Amino acid sequence: MQLVFIDYAVIAIYFLFVVTIGYVLKKKIKTGNDFLMSNKSIPLWITSLAFISANLGAQEVLGMAANGAKYGLYTVHFYWLGAALAMIFLGVFMMPFYYGSKARSVPEYLALRYDEKTRGFNAFSFAAMTIFSSGVSLYALAMLMNVILGWNFDFSILMAAGIVLVYTYLGGLTSAVYNEVLQFFLIVLGIAPLVYLGLDKAGGIDGILQNVDNAKLHMWKGMGSAETNPMGVDAFSLVFGLGFVLAFGYWCTDFLVVQRAMISKNLNEAQRTPIIASIPKILMPAIVILPGIIILALQKTSVGFDLPVNAGGETDYNMVLPTLLSKLYPSGILGVGITALIASFMSGMAGNVTAFNTVFTFDIYQAYIKKEASEKHYLMVGKATTVVGILLSIITAYVARGYNSIMDLLQLVFGFVNAPLFATFLLGMFWKRTTANGAFYGLLSGTVGAALTHGLTTAEGKGGWIMNLHTYYSGTSHAFNIAWIAFVICFIVTVLVSLITKPKPENSLVGLVYSLTPKQTDQEKVWYKNPLMLGIIVLVVTLILNIIFY
Amino acid sequence: MKKLFDLRFVIGLFFSVVGILLLLYHFLVNTTQPENHKINLYSGMVYLLFGVVMIVLSYKNKLS
Repeated sequence: MQLVFIDYAVIAIYFLFVVTIGYVLKKKIKTGNDFLMSNKSIPLWITSLAFISANLGAQEVLGMAANGAKYGLYTVHFYWLGAALAMIFLGVFMMPFYYGSKARSVPEYLALRYDEKTRGFNAFSFAAMTIFSSGVSLYALAMLMNVILGWNFDFSILMAAGIVLVYTYLGGLTSAVYNEVLQFFLIVLGIAPLVYLGLDKAGGIDGILQNVDNAKLHMWKGMGSAETNPMGVDAFSLVFGLGFVLAFGYWCTDFLVVQRAMISKNLNEAQRTPIIASIPKILMPAIVILPGIIILALQKTSVGFDLPVNAGGETDYNMVLPTLLSKLYPSGILGVGITALIASFMSGMAGNVTAFNTVFTFDIYQAYIKKEASEKHYLMVGKATTVVGILLSIITAYVARGYNSIMDLLQLVFGFVNAPLFATFLLGMFWKRTTANGAFYGLLSGTVGAALTHGLTTAEGKGGWIMNLHTYYSGTSHAFNIAWIAFVICFIVTVLVSLITKPKPENSLVGLVYSLTPKQTDQEKVWYKNPLMLGIIVLVVTLILNIIFY
Repeated sequence: MKKLFDLRFVIGLFFSVVGILLLLYHFLVNTTQPENHKINLYSGMVYLLFGVVMIVLSYKNKLS
């Protein structure tokens, strides 16, 4: 792919804007709270777009186009089954406890509801996961720049990490969030012309229907058994594993996204953040999955659209989107497309770094290292953590240089860490009898259970490092199954241990548990201000989409 | 300078600049690829329009 002056100009203008945002916002940062929590003053439209944009990193933009080519339309389950329901549940049912409890982070909620060891467990595992994700984003960016533009790998790493460092260091969370919104528009508007050109070249919707294997143009057909659909999953592990455990575990408990809602001005806006975010979210497949399906049609109708292969001669699905960019975009818009990709990597990285520094400062440093210190001190710690987080991401990026499918690997980590976590929150928020020891040992056994399941079963040659008891059809199916098994183990152990240990006194759980928290009486009557009404509307639309694309 | 605190203005400015750049490129520089040669024109117009709308919005009411 050959870039010309105008393409570089677009990239340069983008970098200039990104850094300027950080520089301008620097003036607003005076305390650790400003830096790590945006002083809870961000307007609704910004928190909503940042909510989905923080997740719009490398694994989403490249990974979903890859899955689109690999699994076809079945990939939309990540959106219309997974994300939508979970985001609405977060807004309607869980946000009142996060926002209302005055916790500054998800681990801090665990400290209030349970105890320090549960918080510590979550804080450390979450910190490790954010660094991992941030490193993977960085690695993917450098690889991409290396392969398609011929840029030096080390140079790409340092450049991207340097820019993210500048704007997150200067402007903190507000700067990351503002940039995420810019990145959101850039990704959508930068890739939309590609979808238009691709569809046009493939002969429109009719061309897609004629040229793509019909088995890849459904969502639910053949879901009765893992053998009869391209994803290699059965309906149970899809609905329970992805739709319930993984999706709820991610969208409802991952501080990276929850943080975007927690910086809203008031509870109503915090509740509406994930619900309003779910509207663009259910439309995202048109931008991120459709290109993967388009390339399947273009293979038949045009020359030069074979699936990309890597140096080892294997199909490299992650290069589907970059391949389309290079084949379909002329100079000019090509610069915008490349910038959109760079933006997605940076937003993925910055989102993780800002979540990492909040959790490290509040839940590790303030909780275990230095309890009482001035605001200025925590601001300094937050800033130092930002630098350390980026350095660790760089190291991770170099380590990641040996893995093939980014998506599968990331999901594996979700399975170990996030899947059991949702059981801990669900029981904590809706069953007052849940005890701190129950939560901790449940979480521990869920995570161990996930690792054991991975060790005892295989898929696509991965896992089974203890022995192989069962082989799944695909890595995706493997991840879904590990997730629900971990969830069930955590759930059962938490309940059993809770029943034999002493619960916290009820008066200390007000605002943290559903049955002990006064119901909101001043519910908004206007439909677009009422989280529940909005949620129901989105659910109905999602249901209709599921039926149309059956 | 104060306008830079308003995210709508910043986003509007970014897309206006990129839109104008694509339009200039379309009209002034002859693209060698005959296929898809109008995409810069169309995208440039959409970006410019989006950018201008965002800037206008940032002057209309004080949301942020």
